[in-house]
Amino acid sequence: MAILELKKVQKTFGTGRTKVEAMKETDFEAEKGELIAVIGPSGSGKSTFLTIAGGLQTPTDGEVMINGTALMDLKEKKRAALRLKEVGFVLQASNLVPYLNVGQQMQLLDKVKKGNLQKEEAKELYQSLGIDHLIRNFPKDLSGGEKQRVAIAKALYTNPSIILADEPTASLDSDRAFEVMNMLKEITKEKQTATIVVTHDTRLIDDCDKVYKITDGKMELQESVHDTL
Amino acid sequence: MKSKGSEVMFLAWNEIKNNKLRFTLVIGVLVLISYLVFFLSGLANGLEQLNREAVDKWEADGIILTEESDLRLQQSILSKDDFDGNGVDEYTELSQLSAIASNEDKKENVFIFAIDPDSFIMPNVTEGNTFVNEGEVIADDTLKEDGFEIGDEISLSSTDETLEIAGFTDKARFNAAPVLFTDRDTLETLQYGETAEGDNNTVNAFVIRADSLDNVEVDEALQVIDTETFIENLPGYTEQNLTLTLMIYFLFIISAVVLAIFLYVLTIQKISIFGVMKAQGISSGYLAGSVVAQTFLLSLAGVMIGLALAVITGLFLPAAVPVAFNYIEMLIYGIILIAVSVIGALISVQTIVRIDPLKAIGG
Ligand SMILES: Nc1ncnc2c1ncn2[C@@H]1O[C@H](COP(=O)(O)OP(=O)(O)OP(=O)(O)O)[C@@H](O)[C@H]1O
Ligand SMILES: [Mg+2]
Repeated sequence: MAILELKKVQKTFGTGRTKVEAMKETDFEAEKGELIAVIGPSGSGKSTFLTIAGGLQTPTDGEVMINGTALMDLKEKKRAALRLKEVGFVLQASNLVPYLNVGQQMQLLDKVKKGNLQKEEAKELYQSLGIDHLIRNFPKDLSGGEKQRVAIAKALYTNPSIILADEPTASLDSDRAFEVMNMLKEITKEKQTATIVVTHDTRLIDDCDKVYKITDGKMELQESVHDTL
Repeated sequence: MKSKGSEVMFLAWNEIKNNKLRFTLVIGVLVLISYLVFFLSGLANGLEQLNREAVDKWEADGIILTEESDLRLQQSILSKDDFDGNGVDEYTELSQLSAIASNEDKKENVFIFAIDPDSFIMPNVTEGNTFVNEGEVIADDTLKEDGFEIGDEISLSSTDETLEIAGFTDKARFNAAPVLFTDRDTLETLQYGETAEGDNNTVNAFVIRADSLDNVEVDEALQVIDTETFIENLPGYTEQNLTLTLMIYFLFIISAVVLAIFLYVLTIQKISIFGVMKAQGISSGYLAGSVVAQTFLLSLAGVMIGLALAVITGLFLPAAVPVAFNYIEMLIYGIILIAVSVIGALISVQTIVRIDPLKAIGG
């Protein structure tokens, strides 16, 4: 069974002359252990797709199912709880709390949710992300790339079944960018998550299981990963 | 709030630790407000005592005055025989005279109370002796601070007669002036001169102890009032109390508003931070709980420091400033201050609940 499913999902903003069809009618599925790339030009609807998939905004039409639960039926409180349990977001903008150090960012998650990574597992994660020496740093004392890696660690810390990453490599140099993509791939296979990565950078999609391309809100599966090039 | 205290404290406390200046300012404002509240409460208390401690010391249940007196002791003129003790456990007469007393270099407004030395309103002597010979008085010991001493000759504004301080008693001020206690003979001499006949029967009031004031039987021209009503009708007493109490209540409102504004601004600044936390799935309840917990910590700190400062100030105040702290009342006011601060924080809770995580994360 697909862990994430979008059925006939559609999103329009505004009405009349200012109407924007950010997502045209879309069906989408992601299985456990799948690494999926979503590419497309700026303004094509990539972030819209990702935030609808993660239950951060409701579609104008259609249905989103996470692990068999229809998001439409849930109140915001339940939806937040579902996000916390199932979804790991890596956002375009930094999603760190400025007054918590790296270790405390994770501790905060322990305060609100059980079943997060064990100490040893977390240590491994920090090592693989190359942030194990930064645990006591506050966000203001991290470089852009380091912040991004901490954000990834934060998304993975809750053991999510779905990882939604919006341009996670945007602020990284290309070596680091490749490294981060590799890591996402490893985690996807190891933890059997459904991982969806939105990116501009077509060089990063070689290892993905599927690639979708969005143009003007229309989402299309690419037959072969290399079609996109 | 569903989240447990220690868990919401985590976010609250770490934010305080990392934004010391900001939160020091908040605490500073609370310190000033609570200091003022505690100080005013002390002042209100001190002024109350200044007016009533002599009466409180009687441990009386009521007082009998004339109907025409408008509840003023001076205006109540009655005869010793007007009351025969029907319905009371104990009673005694009281006559009074207000005067300006002076020794060689100091002048002081005083009340002279003529009492029966064997009655229950006879004050304890803390220093010196009781009045025995005509012209001797027991004086309230705040007069000592004005330089009056045992053996001092006191001259009065209204007569050529003089008094002598035989001893002191404590806690004996009435309507903001120290009291001199003496016997009826001395008072009559002051009022009517040496030559007056010794059978003057006029007194100002009867002080009574009774289980129930309803059972006390008096003439039509007299009225029985309870001690508290008598005190409340002392000139200026109620007005003074009301003014200070009103100021304290205003300060409660001010502290709630100031804190509400502060926290609201802080919350507005943190909208994007709250937004990313909400995007991850952290509940509004947890975030709101942390703001409330934070407010609690801040107001607790502010109130404690304000309390400490008020108490320290009290130690160094000159005796002329009538500040007397009632610690139980201060505790209650402290709790009220914390409570209204937390209520002020609830405005921000609404803002937090409304934050749309989508707007906050951008993208
Ligand atoms: N809240 C909104 N109100 C109105 N229009 C919106 C809103 N959010 C997005 N849009 C529009 O929907 C379209 C898709 O936006 P989206 O953010 O999904 O693009 P994107 O592919 O993520 O772009 P980028 O690569 O620049 O991040 C854009 O035309 C955008 O202007
Ligand atoms: Mg985007």
